[in-house]
Amino acid sequence: MRKTIKAAALLGVAALTLAACSSGSGGGTTSPSASGGSTAASPMATGPVTLTMHWWGDQEAPGAKKWLDAAITAYQTAHPNITIKETLETTDGLIPNFEAAAAAKTPLDIQYFWGGIYAQQPHWNGNTAAISDFISADELAHYTNAQMEDSYQGKIVSAPWYVNPSFPVLVNKDLLAKNGLTVPMTWTDFLKTCDTLSAKGIPTIAGGVKDGWFGGWLYSLLGAQSLTSQKQVLDAVVGNAKFTDPALGDWWTRLEESQKHKCWNSDINSQELYQAQQLFVDQKAAMTVTAGPDAPNFATKAGGPDKIEVMAMPAWSDGPLAGKIASSSQTLGIPSWSEHKAEAADFIKFLHTPEQLQAWYDMTGSLPADDRFDLTQVTDPIKKSLFAGGSDNVPYMENFIPAQLDSDAVFKNVQLVLKGSETGAAAAADMQAQMERLRTTDRDLVTNFTNWASGQ
Amino acid sequence: MTDATMTITREPMPPGDRRSSRRPGPWHAALWIAPAAAVIVFVFAYALYQLVIQSFKYKSEWTGWDNFRIVVTDPLFRTALKHNMELLLCVPVLIAVALLLAIVLSETIRGHTFFRGVLFFPYILPVTVVGVVLGQLLTLNGPVNTALNGMGLGKFAADWLGDPNIALWTMGGVIVWKEVGFGIVLFLARILSLPNETYEAAALDGAGFWRKHWSITLPQMTGVIAFYAVTEAIVMVSWVFNYVYIMTNGQGGPGDSTVVTELYIYRSAFQNQQIELAAAAAVILFLITLFLVVIFFRLQRKSLLAVVGE
Repeated sequence: MRKTIKAAALLGVAALTLAACSSGSGGGTTSPSASGGSTAASPMATGPVTLTMHWWGDQEAPGAKKWLDAAITAYQTAHPNITIKETLETTDGLIPNFEAAAAAKTPLDIQYFWGGIYAQQPHWNGNTAAISDFISADELAHYTNAQMEDSYQGKIVSAPWYVNPSFPVLVNKDLLAKNGLTVPMTWTDFLKTCDTLSAKGIPTIAGGVKDGWFGGWLYSLLGAQSLTSQKQVLDAVVGNAKFTDPALGDWWTRLEESQKHKCWNSDINSQELYQAQQLFVDQKAAMTVTAGPDAPNFATKAGGPDKIEVMAMPAWSDGPLAGKIASSSQTLGIPSWSEHKAEAADFIKFLHTPEQLQAWYDMTGSLPADDRFDLTQVTDPIKKSLFAGGSDNVPYMENFIPAQLDSDAVFKNVQLVLKGSETGAAAAADMQAQMERLRTTDRDLVTNFTNWASGQ
Repeated sequence: MTDATMTITREPMPPGDRRSSRRPGPWHAALWIAPAAAVIVFVFAYALYQLVIQSFKYKSEWTGWDNFRIVVTDPLFRTALKHNMELLLCVPVLIAVALLLAIVLSETIRGHTFFRGVLFFPYILPVTVVGVVLGQLLTLNGPVNTALNGMGLGKFAADWLGDPNIALWTMGGVIVWKEVGFGIVLFLARILSLPNETYEAAALDGAGFWRKHWSITLPQMTGVIAFYAVTEAIVMVSWVFNYVYIMTNGQGGPGDSTVVTELYIYRSAFQNQQIELAAAAAVILFLITLFLVVIFFRLQRKSLLAVVGE
């Protein structure tokens, strides 16, 4: 009977949660333009205000928390009536927790979003206000990737914060040299490297796809190489092209080749991304891929600039995006139900003042998303290489497909191809099939993506 | 003092009628049930009502069966449901293992308390702990495979959670390991309540271990086995989310190989922001579970009637 009660309780809780979400998700059905609340003209409050901020912490930019704490202290000193409280979110909890907060209208004034679709979708759902309603166009023009990733129908939906060069490949030159190899710049060289190292039991490149996220990285690292712009991806999403077209689907075959040449660590399917990277730090794999903001620290841990080189994924195509590191900006948005939008926007603007941009670089070693940051001060070769890529406005393709397609097609099929359970062609076909399914299950998808594509 | 009590005091009934006259009226039972009923109505019935209503709407507009049509034609939902049905195959395994271990424990004289504790221990562990620990143990280069290789049993080593062909069965194995303790306790309690004389008589007639338990123990345990079977069937259909979420990082992978209906509902509602589709899928899952609960109550009633008949 205890189990029956548990089962009944589960159903009840699920029902209650869904009912609460359904009744509370009015925001989910509100059009973006109806986000309401204060406007750009709203004056700053003079009475006590508490701003609540949910963000991702140090996960890809170690030092970010220390920097934010100092920035909050500085801002509160300048604005004694304002208190800012921060809450850290996990990777898996970032989106669901925001959705739960939106459904319950939990007090929240500043929310961290990854760029592109991850910032767009909450706005389409009516859960964020356009940041351009509160920060001037002149100011936003300095924010890196704002136009490319975060614009929708003439507005900027979320404010870029720091740049995520997406994603650098780290190469252990010493390990390659010990095995008579040089850094592979082309796909053919890369596969030859795999053949040589796998014969000696050394994985060429370390990765983990159990948690899925690395699959999205691989989509961008390999899938972008045969494209000319993000518009091609958006066209495939709305049905004007197919993910099986050579330009959009051939990368799956390259992935299959990498599996057949035993490029990856054998346990890639049972390792999480960050677990698997340890193989590179331990000098047991010649290459890995890591988050851009963390790459300088990661390279230092693995041996420093003398031993480690940072590069783009070896090129398999001669497309304009091949051999380049893409650029994406992580952002801060303002929830549509926030009662302190003007104050939240003012704090976000404060984070882009010259002192804060410099402090960000000093504390994290990564690139702030603002073209007013003085790049000439960067002398470290790894950072220079990364920041050059980060400033190029090369689109990061994973940010231009529906998040659901990412998890239901990309994450899934990357796992299957890397396990050898599926061919590249079958994976491309499944991605197209999943896209067609999503156009049915997400009844606003085509409209939203068509609107987004029209601004690209 | 209630009216009923007053009646009894004023007009004593003949002894034969006393019992029926003291039985409280239907309103009396309702009064006692009322607080719990109110909570249940508030917590469950209203939520369920809202869930059903939501499953027929899209953006607050009535759309009839649209959400159900989308869900049942969604290959991912059908895959998820199929995986729940496949996990039902764990139920007979659970029953067989729990029964065997309960019988062995009932015959164990030395250290039986210790063994009972060991076997029941997994059941009281939080699913999160089980998921994280076993998730690490079962990686391709993890301790389980290392041990198998070390013992010369390398051919049995596998990518337990990374191979889409076996990941669901690995998950099923973990669920069996965790859930079997509940069955052992249930079965053992029943076995220890059986009269010893029958076994002594059977022993005098020369019955061995298997014969005794096949012909004496099993026939007397049908009620409790049925109860366990139905409750575990409910677990497999609507209570495996935690295992899948923890052991696959919420992905249901590799590929779709471990996606179950609850994960489909969770992802629809909280990752894909498709509350209405999640509601429709939840209603379908509720109906399936309700069906199992009805079976359970019928079996329980049958069992009770059999006991009364004895």
